Amino acid sequence: MAVQGAAELAIETTGLTKRFGARTALDGIDLQVPRGVAFGFLGPNGAGKTTIIRTLLGLTRASAGSMRLLGHPVPAERSQALRRVGAIVEEPRFHPFLSGRENLRLVAAVRGPEARERIEPALARVGLSERAGQKVKSYSMGMRQRLGVARCLLADPQLLILDEPTNGLDPGGIQEFREMIRAMVEQEGRTVFVSSHLLDEVERTCDAAAIVDRGKIITQGAIADLAAGGEARHELIVAVDDPQLALGTLAGSELVVEARPSDEGLRVILAGGPETAAGVNSALVRAGVGVTRLEPVRHSLEQRFLAITSRLDASVAPEEVKA
Amino acid sequence: MSATIAARMYGADLLKLRKKRSTVIWALVLALLPVIIFYAVNAVEHASSASHEAAGGIEHFHTGLRLLGGLFFGPLVAILIGVEAGTTDSADGVLRDLIVTGRSRLALFASRVPAALTLCWAVVTASYALNLIGTFAFADGLPTPSGPQVLEGWGFVLLATGVLCAVAVGFSTLVDSRPGGIIALIAWQVIASPLIASISSLGSGREFVLAQAIAHFGPAGVRDMHGAEIAMAGGTATVVIALWLVVFLALGAWRARTMDT
Repeated sequence: MAVQGAAELAIETTGLTKRFGARTALDGIDLQVPRGVAFGFLGPNGAGKTTIIRTLLGLTRASAGSMRLLGHPVPAERSQALRRVGAIVEEPRFHPFLSGRENLRLVAAVRGPEARERIEPALARVGLSERAGQKVKSYSMGMRQRLGVARCLLADPQLLILDEPTNGLDPGGIQEFREMIRAMVEQEGRTVFVSSHLLDEVERTCDAAAIVDRGKIITQGAIADLAAGGEARHELIVAVDDPQLALGTLAGSELVVEARPSDEGLRVILAGGPETAAGVNSALVRAGVGVTRLEPVRHSLEQRFLAITSRLDASVAPEEVKA
Repeated sequence: MSATIAARMYGADLLKLRKKRSTVIWALVLALLPVIIFYAVNAVEHASSASHEAAGGIEHFHTGLRLLGGLFFGPLVAILIGVEAGTTDSADGVLRDLIVTGRSRLALFASRVPAALTLCWAVVTASYALNLIGTFAFADGLPTPSGPQVLEGWGFVLLATGVLCAVAVGFSTLVDSRPGGIIALIAWQVIASPLIASISSLGSGREFVLAQAIAHFGPAGVRDMHGAEIAMAGGTATVVIALWLVVFLALGAWRARTMDT
């Protein structure tokens, strides 16, 4: 991922360190989250995901390093920085004896007059208008998550920070949440920072991610780059009626870096982007090879994650899954 | 922070407190029931025996003031409400959601105090009104308090409960524990304060007991309610009360500003 200016970054940390006594929870974190993307913060339980969120939001103090949120240095300009930030840290919590609407009124009172006017639109946005008068203690986990998002929306946030947002949600709720995150990024231009230990979650929802383990950033970048191992690599599975002729044809092609037989057909690494697949198909057809299948291979972030986190055997080779 | 936002934060804190049904019900029970029982029992005794004096009048008014202002029930109400105000955000896990709005932690702490005082004073004023009704309704020819005495009594009840309520907000924020705050403050108010006041060998050191300093401002008939009446100058009593307020509100503010959430 290219280094961007501070103004273009939603979150930027340099050498961020947090110690709890002798234990180092964050160890010199350098994180860059561009604006206008869904950014996954991926790591196993205990890796330091919640700690970095709590540090960014001023819920706990950093031991060393610097941070910027939406271009503002924190904690020096914490108030301005958080004005357009919405966050759910761990599970969303509310006063159970108050209604959903009353809970939002409390936060709106603290945020300012304009936040009060956003209560009803925010409730409508998350589909809670009809239940907003009921006490929160009667809400399901999914409803609490949605109310948590509504609370974030009171800030009209440029940046949403969501800590394990799909925890406790049923499959329908998870799908709904993913769609909401994508809509916030694509339709509303917000930046969404999602921490998760669920690889599939990040891969399906996010444009870019950082992988953290034991308080250190292992790698960060676009999802496709991360999955491919640092730089985008486009591969195809090609099923043909004459594999030997096909291999011979592709061996001399400048469109292909490597072609080799596999159980599913030929495994072809392209020299260019995905559009190169059309040229490979044409070359094979011109050579008289019958092509019965031509399918791009998507590298799994999960395998990449398993390969690079220090908790797993480093010798596990990345596998691929079909798109 | 603008006055509008401060007013809305106060309103929000008051909403939290008055909607906490269990706290409000217990506060009302503690404030009203003893006064009702006190006058009901005395009225029944007076009705059943002519030798038993009437249930109202100024002496019973002073007894009602003891119940409310210093002895037990008024302070209990103040502690209950003050501790609730000091801990409810933290106990319900909502404090971090308020902090991430960017609003200063000190402002969040500060808005708890007037909200707690409002509810506390509303409850004890209702109880004080009940005391007045009993005083006048059951006087049956006995002398009743004058207008200035009524105002003095009300002022004393507001002072006694208000100071303790504010101290309870600061102390409970400091310890960040609802049960811990309630137990420690009740133990101090009900057990330790009268005990210390009764140990004459402590001499002028007893002037630092908050209840003694507050009692100094009570009407003449209710100053001896904490085991012994400690003679102290008005200035000393004022300084002691101010010290308690400043120390515990400052400790609460410090804790609110520095605590991890």
